[in-house]
Amino acid sequence: MFCEKAIELVRELHRMGDGQLPAFNEDGIRQVLEEMKALYQQNQSDVNEAKSEGRSELIPTIKFRHCCLCRNQRCIAAYLYDRLLRIRALRWEYGSVLPTAIRFHMCAEEVEWFNQYKKSLATYMRSLGGEEGLDITQDVKPPKSLYIEVRCLKDHGEFEIDDGTVILLKKNSQHFLPRWKCEQLIRQGVLEHVIS
Amino acid sequence: MDPSEVEFLAEKEMVTIIPNFSLDKIYLIGGDLGPFNPGLPVDVPVWLALNLKQRQKCRIVPPDWMDVGKLEEIKELESKEETFAPIPSPYYMELTKMLLNHASDNIPKADEIRTLVKDIWDTRVAKLRLSADSFISQLEAHAKLDNLTLMEINTTRTFLLDSLNCMYKLRTNLQPGSDKSNDY
Amino acid sequence: MSDALSEASDLSGDDSQDVMTPTELIAKLEEAWLNEKFSPELLKNKSEIVECVMEQLTHMEENLQRVRKGDVKASIHRMEIDRIRFVLSSYLRSRLQKIEKFFPHVLEKEKSRAEGDPSFLSPEEFAFAKEYMANTETYLKAVALRHMPPNLQTIDMLKAVPEPCLDSFVFLRVKERQENILVEPETDEQREYVVDLEEGSQHLMRYRTIAPLVASGAVQLI
Repeated sequence: MFCEKAIELVRELHRMGDGQLPAFNEDGIRQVLEEMKALYQQNQSDVNEAKSEGRSELIPTIKFRHCCLCRNQRCIAAYLYDRLLRIRALRWEYGSVLPTAIRFHMCAEEVEWFNQYKKSLATYMRSLGGEEGLDITQDVKPPKSLYIEVRCLKDHGEFEIDDGTVILLKKNSQHFLPRWKCEQLIRQGVLEHVIS
Repeated sequence: MDPSEVEFLAEKEMVTIIPNFSLDKIYLIGGDLGPFNPGLPVDVPVWLALNLKQRQKCRIVPPDWMDVGKLEEIKELESKEETFAPIPSPYYMELTKMLLNHASDNIPKADEIRTLVKDIWDTRVAKLRLSADSFISQLEAHAKLDNLTLMEINTTRTFLLDSLNCMYKLRTNLQPGSDKSNDY
Repeated sequence: MSDALSEASDLSGDDSQDVMTPTELIAKLEEAWLNEKFSPELLKNKSEIVECVMEQLTHMEENLQRVRKGDVKASIHRMEIDRIRFVLSSYLRSRLQKIEKFFPHVLEKEKSRAEGDPSFLSPEEFAFAKEYMANTETYLKAVALRHMPPNLQTIDMLKAVPEPCLDSFVFLRVKERQENILVEPETDEQREYVVDLEEGSQHLMRYRTIAPLVASGAVQLI
């Protein structure tokens, strides 16, 4: 039956949970494209025959093939577009550098799309407000209390907090620190937010 | 909406604190606060109250309604009325949770208050489920929802709105002549 | 110190006619945030608000640079900045998400806008939407469309990407009393009827019915 390969592509993504990116199914795409090529060639010759020899009984078959072609196109577009949406979500989750395992699942054109998306987003964010712009990929959760409990994941040495006191960030030590002083160190993997 | 965002909005509510420090008036972007004098009550937003409390710089005065007697009255009214009874604060649930979690030592009979607020919440959410159910089954196009709080709406928002949308799509697709006939 | 920070609350440096206090400005931002979060379609941009809030934040940050370390006031200002920056970012994120979700329709609306009508997109958002569209079209072409039969090498994005569903239900609170709002029937057996929306009352109804009231600020989505 026609279009089965195409539906399988859509199903493949549907089966994966939200946010997961399976390996790009190059082979599946190629098979659908081949089926489309064959359908198109058959239609071309039938159209010619219908025209030159007046064989109007061919028209329903031609119409049917055309529907299959459209459906194949639609399924491929849905497959590709859904993958883009997943890749887009990854930019917001991981930042501008994707883990290698994920990049491995992307085709070259997807990597190109991703790079362009990153660029558009960066341009947009730079254009917000003053000279520095605003990084809207940050501040995803509402700010909670000012002080948070953090655990030190590696030795970082002395660290001055706003009231002028100096604390020693030693591996495995725990501290009660102002949130805004910790954020960068948390991102760098020096500190970890202890959620009690 | 994420519940943390509703809580974020609740943190804007004003609450009275008794500071143990002195500080001049603060000119915040969102409005002026203070001045702060030891022992003198002053109104601040909850986010600041909780922070000062966390740093042991103040005592929080519980809101008027956060009182066993008052809450019992509300609870009784809520169970008598069929509609949603007026509630003393649009953020009663979040405020109770936050103040009891971070300042329970400043709130008399904290445990009783927690239970009463939970009871009131349960009664209201049960009513909300019933009315959502009848809204859907009666195919209503409009409902008045006075006194419902944001957190209460939030408990049913996604489920209710998605169901309504889904049913709407099923219904409109049944009608002939909708331009869906060209879908492959 | 208190002088340096108090001047932050003065917005009158602008020549704008409608003078808004910073307090009103933040309230406006929060309204715009919630409306944008709950409305199924992209609302009109509020670039002036975004710019003014950014200015306030930058100004406050600059003042805080000069403040002595460990100042209690500074820490309170910082907490407020964090809160405002969250609302601002969340607001802009909601918009960008909708622009990405509905890009062909958003751009179409922009194209068919009558001259003189205010734009739904800010100039930055417009640039982003155009790039997003071009990027996505280039991608689809490169991977698949160019390998398809000649009559199938283009896709009508307006048809392929779903439109915002204006028939979605929304929750709202009334800020200015409205009379005779027409409620359309859900089924053929029902009849249409009108409701009055009293100030302060809350409702659940279709977005399409009250979309103009969201735009005018007469109701707030919740």
